[in-house]
Amino acid sequence: MQKNKYAKPATKGITRAQLRWRTLGVLFLLVVSLLVILPTYANRGINWVNNKTNLGVPTLPAKGFNLGLDLQGGAHLIYKANTEQIPSDQQADAVEGVRDVIERRVRGGLGVSEPLVQTNQVGSEHRIIVELPGVTDVKQAISMIGETPVLEFKEENNTPARDLTKEEKKQLEDFNKAADKKAREALAETKKGKDFSELVNKYSDDESAIKEKGGNIGFVTADNAPELYKWATGKKVNEVSRVTVKNSEGNNILKKLSERDGEKKVTASHLLLCFEGATGCDDPKYKKEEAKAKIDEIKSQATIQNFRDLVKQYTTEPGGADRNGELGTFSKGQMVPEFEKVAFEMPNNSISEVVETQFGYHLIYKYGEETPKEYELARILARTKTEADILPPADQWKNTGLSGKQLQRAEVVEDQQTSQIQVSLNFNDEGSKLFGEITGRNVGKQVAIFLDGEPLSTPVVNEAITSGSAVISGGFTFQEAKLLAQRLNSGALPVSVELISQQTVDATLGNDSLQKSFKAGMIGLIAVMLFMIFYYRLPGLISVASLIVYASITLALSKLLGVTLTLSGIAGFILSIGMAVDANVLVFERLKEELRLGKSLKVAIEEAFVRAWSSIRDGNITTLISCVFLIWFGTGFIQGFAVTLGLGILVSMLTAFVFSRIIARLVFGWMPEKGNWLLVGYKTDNSAVTETIVNK
Amino acid sequence: MKNIQFIKYSKLWLTITTTVMIVSIGLVAILGLKPGIDFTGGSLLEVEFQEALPDVNLVRSYLQEGEHKNAVVQATGDRGLLIRTAFLNEEEHQQLVAGLAEKFGTEKNTVDEKRFETIGSSVSKTLRERAIWAIILVNLGIISYIAYAFRKVSRPVASWKYGAIAIFALIHDVLLVMGVFAILGRYVGTEVDIAFVVALLTVLGYSVNDTIVVFDRVRENLLHHKADTFGETVNFGLNQTIMRSINTTLTTLLPLLALYFIGGETIKNFSLALLIGIASGAYSSIFIASPLLAVVERWQVRRLAKA
Repeated sequence: MQKNKYAKPATKGITRAQLRWRTLGVLFLLVVSLLVILPTYANRGINWVNNKTNLGVPTLPAKGFNLGLDLQGGAHLIYKANTEQIPSDQQADAVEGVRDVIERRVRGGLGVSEPLVQTNQVGSEHRIIVELPGVTDVKQAISMIGETPVLEFKEENNTPARDLTKEEKKQLEDFNKAADKKAREALAETKKGKDFSELVNKYSDDESAIKEKGGNIGFVTADNAPELYKWATGKKVNEVSRVTVKNSEGNNILKKLSERDGEKKVTASHLLLCFEGATGCDDPKYKKEEAKAKIDEIKSQATIQNFRDLVKQYTTEPGGADRNGELGTFSKGQMVPEFEKVAFEMPNNSISEVVETQFGYHLIYKYGEETPKEYELARILARTKTEADILPPADQWKNTGLSGKQLQRAEVVEDQQTSQIQVSLNFNDEGSKLFGEITGRNVGKQVAIFLDGEPLSTPVVNEAITSGSAVISGGFTFQEAKLLAQRLNSGALPVSVELISQQTVDATLGNDSLQKSFKAGMIGLIAVMLFMIFYYRLPGLISVASLIVYASITLALSKLLGVTLTLSGIAGFILSIGMAVDANVLVFERLKEELRLGKSLKVAIEEAFVRAWSSIRDGNITTLISCVFLIWFGTGFIQGFAVTLGLGILVSMLTAFVFSRIIARLVFGWMPEKGNWLLVGYKTDNSAVTETIVNK
Repeated sequence: MKNIQFIKYSKLWLTITTTVMIVSIGLVAILGLKPGIDFTGGSLLEVEFQEALPDVNLVRSYLQEGEHKNAVVQATGDRGLLIRTAFLNEEEHQQLVAGLAEKFGTEKNTVDEKRFETIGSSVSKTLRERAIWAIILVNLGIISYIAYAFRKVSRPVASWKYGAIAIFALIHDVLLVMGVFAILGRYVGTEVDIAFVVALLTVLGYSVNDTIVVFDRVRENLLHHKADTFGETVNFGLNQTIMRSINTTLTTLLPLLALYFIGGETIKNFSLALLIGIASGAYSSIFIASPLLAVVERWQVRRLAKA
């Protein structure tokens, strides 16, 4: 025990005026706390004031207490994530993905406004904890959470919702006829040799910044504008089209501005030997060294003539034998870097050395290499409409048959040249084929990726992608890209979840618990107050005052700090009432003794507070130690209890020691020097003192 | 102020204490505590019948003859049933509820599910481990604090002995609670769950608190030489603090009693453990810690005299 440092009464220097101010301070705290606890009443008052005056006092947020599941009803579910199939370095990400899926489902599908979905790792087991306050249909919630996520790729829907009516057909025809007429007029004027850019301004419907640029639409390739590209091939620079060129947008009158070499393209086939541990090698035939030996052997026999037969015989690429290992024509950025480097640098009509990539060992047979031209064009566009423009489709998106099953993996990657953050997609064989078809017919349009029926991302297709690997770019931050990849993966590598613990409380039972425990708390509080007043008289009344301040501050604080009130939390609060009074009891017992020793009231009360302090401190610290460890290690029940008990103890040290002292000093200032019947022990009891001292 | 002679009857108090402790240990060892589903895994289902409760024995035999051989069925409240079974997955849970409704419910007397808890073996293992860690750390924390609090008191009894005595009193309190719960577990089926562990840990903090207040007073009296012998100093300190001990305990027990009687079924056992433990904490600081302190000092004196 420490020696008391404040042996002298400390009233010195505190004037009555200061005391009054401090008392006002305590009252102010009490009022603020009550406002926080009961904002509805406070707001009623504020509205009244606002109606009478035009002060415009802001109202308080009418938020209730954060009630735990056991008090408002709801479900606490613990799931085990089955991650055995997933490599250990990807498990945490995969579980995070599942967590995200579950959170989206409970927010969206179940309409639970404040769900808590957390991941948690115990040993090597990944768990997901789902708290659903206020949920009424737990059965439905559980079945929704347990469903495997569905990832779908969808394309724009151009089918009108129904057949067009006669009028609508006429409207469409008239519009397109007018467009044709406009195009013919413009064409006639170009033939007269009018300035092309002037005509653009006069006629073109292409609003997207084209008019200022004289109709310049930049360089086109065979992929992104096939009809226009076809026209430009073989034309001279500055040549203007003699006829209108039709495409999906409308009628074009074109002018070739310049041409340049485009991206190099390579046509090749390959032979793959995958080995244990390589990406996508589901059924490894070889260990890595064996695969190397084998591919070296194949390389030694390979010629241009027998390459296809060797592919048929040896390749481990799923479906590769049927396609003769054909990869088609590809440009840079479509293949993994190691593969691309060799394929683009090797001479045409030859077979490469052995190439190692994440998929295994490859031999590449390159039999085509070209550098297609790109043409810079200007155009006058007379836009035409389609049926879908007149009557929008019922559904913006339609299914493509491509789903998460055909997606192998999504990853965050950085573009090597631009260091842009991107999300890469890798499809399996079937997926590559489907994705190639989808992107092929949707160049320049959006392809949407849906997870559980909600769009995740709607990238625009730049070109047909047949290689089975694509990237989504779009100015992502790393976090955004990571989230997107996680969500894509949750559909690609579905992690199934298993319910291993469930706690469900019906709302009526919760409400019943709340009512009962609240009532118990009130009765307990009143019983304590009565006891204190009867036993200690005036000081008892002071302790009641500080107990009210204590209860208000503790409740207000738990609301402000967002402490979740559980049944155990209320128990903790109720227990802390007793502890709060303990400090007062210690002081008053001390006061009694000091008075019996014949000290004046002022001296006695100061002595009592000072001398009781070390006991109050030590007593509360041991309970706080328990609380801290319980908060640290606990879940649910334990934490609710320990948090409110701990909070209660801290507040009680303030109220019982500081506030009670302020009130006591103020009140005792009105009393006679030696006290009166309002104080126990005001009659100096010398006999007791002498008796104990001489007692042998 | 009266001066009650507690220390004079030290031997009596210590005999009672030793008996209580031995009996408690015996009860826990022989009857054992009944672990709840928090620690063993399993399910707890509470249903309420809208009108009237069916015969509990019928429900029990229905369940036990069906798929739930180890089912325990208890009535709770007027129309409630508590059913304990092994771990159930969601499908089995729904089957159980539907089965009850079909067999015992009628159109008017519907069966409403009020509460369902099921805990798998891996979760209960985690809870067990956590509880053990919490127990160890809380104990270490309290022991360190006692060592710190009594570091300056050394004469005539060494400071570590104050600490050891405080811990002895604390063990008594915990044993008493465990003994009572062993009896309740045997005869009423009261289970020991996470809440029970929390109650015990709270009792630890509280019991030490009480003992510290008494010892603190003894320490102060030693400095001021209020009495001639150590025993009298202790007795004097006890008399000075006894009203505080009683009043504090009363003010803590009052709200807990309210919680026990009207706080609802769910919190009943928890409040009971706290009630017993906290009452015992006050008792042990008066009738165990202080007499023991006096006895220890007397032993020391006697040994010195022999030497």
